[in-house]
Amino acid sequence: QVGGGGSGCVLKQVHLNVTDLGLGYRTKEELLFRYCSGPCADSETNYDKILNNLSHKKKLTPDNPARTCCRPIAFDDDLSFLDDDLVYHTLKKHSARKCACI
Amino acid sequence: PAVTKENNCLNAAKACNLNDTCKKYRSAYISPCTTRVSTAEVCNRRKCHKALRQFFDKVPPKYSYSMLFCPCPSAPQSACLERRRQTIVPVCSYEDREKPNCLSLQESCKSNYICRSRLADFFANCQPEPRSLSGCLKENYGDCLLSYSGLIGTAMTPNYLRLSHLSVSPWCDCSSSGNSKEECDRFTSFFTDNRCLKSAIQAFGNGTDVGVWQPVPPV
Repeated sequence: QVGGGGSGCVLKQVHLNVTDLGLGYRTKEELLFRYCSGPCADSETNYDKILNNLSHKKKLTPDNPARTCCRPIAFDDDLSFLDDDLVYHTLKKHSARKCACI
Repeated sequence: PAVTKENNCLNAAKACNLNDTCKKYRSAYISPCTTRVSTAEVCNRRKCHKALRQFFDKVPPKYSYSMLFCPCPSAPQSACLERRRQTIVPVCSYEDREKPNCLSLQESCKSNYICRSRLADFFANCQPEPRSLSGCLKENYGDCLLSYSGLIGTAMTPNYLRLSHLSVSPWCDCSSSGNSKEECDRFTSFFTDNRCLKSAIQAFGNGTDVGVWQPVPPV
């Protein structure tokens, strides 16, 4: 289940109803939603350390650039389902396949 | 048991999407079968048929048959029956502007080697036999279901008819058959009124082991 990159950043999954996704579909179908989660402190570069130092010293205000974070680097296969009005829908890039600190 | 509100076809779809292989090949046919290619055409039928054949080739029958042969109550227009009819995305894979004569459809099937061999398998493996307990000449429901599902994605793609809960037919009829009316009726009744096929579908729905049909020993 562990993705590449930082040791703490891993792929997790949760069993949901399609309606739980909040995308506006009316259906009783279900899915496994996979997501990336975990700390990325181990894999920080000098770039991230510099950002930390500069924002601490308020040298970059008002900006606050994002540090390394645990994100999908590949997505799961598409998901299709039939809604309550008998119309098919296909979701793309909705669920993670592989994670990394990027 | 009391009347259940379980929708077996919905349960089969849920199970499919929780299995990586079934989910992948399901969306791999639903995408081309539901993507409009021009104002005139609802989809690319050739791509839809190819992806449907792949689905039944690659996905374990445990998942694919559960969607195609899910048992539904016979009440017309139930959500279960409607969902089962939609399994193959009939608007693309099945329905057409015109309904050809079944014998001419059979001729065009014979001109394609996949369709020709799959239709021959279907006629061989789902041959009814009134004197047999199973209803079939070859007492193997698994082979009959396999050859029926093998027709999906060919010119002979069959689907459940709207008005009856176990009758199936390819998209054709026997109007304008001329002198071949009887031959045409025989052809269509092999789909619409085939006791072997109906028993095989029902046995799958009841959870009877379809791979090994064992005749009941004489009492």
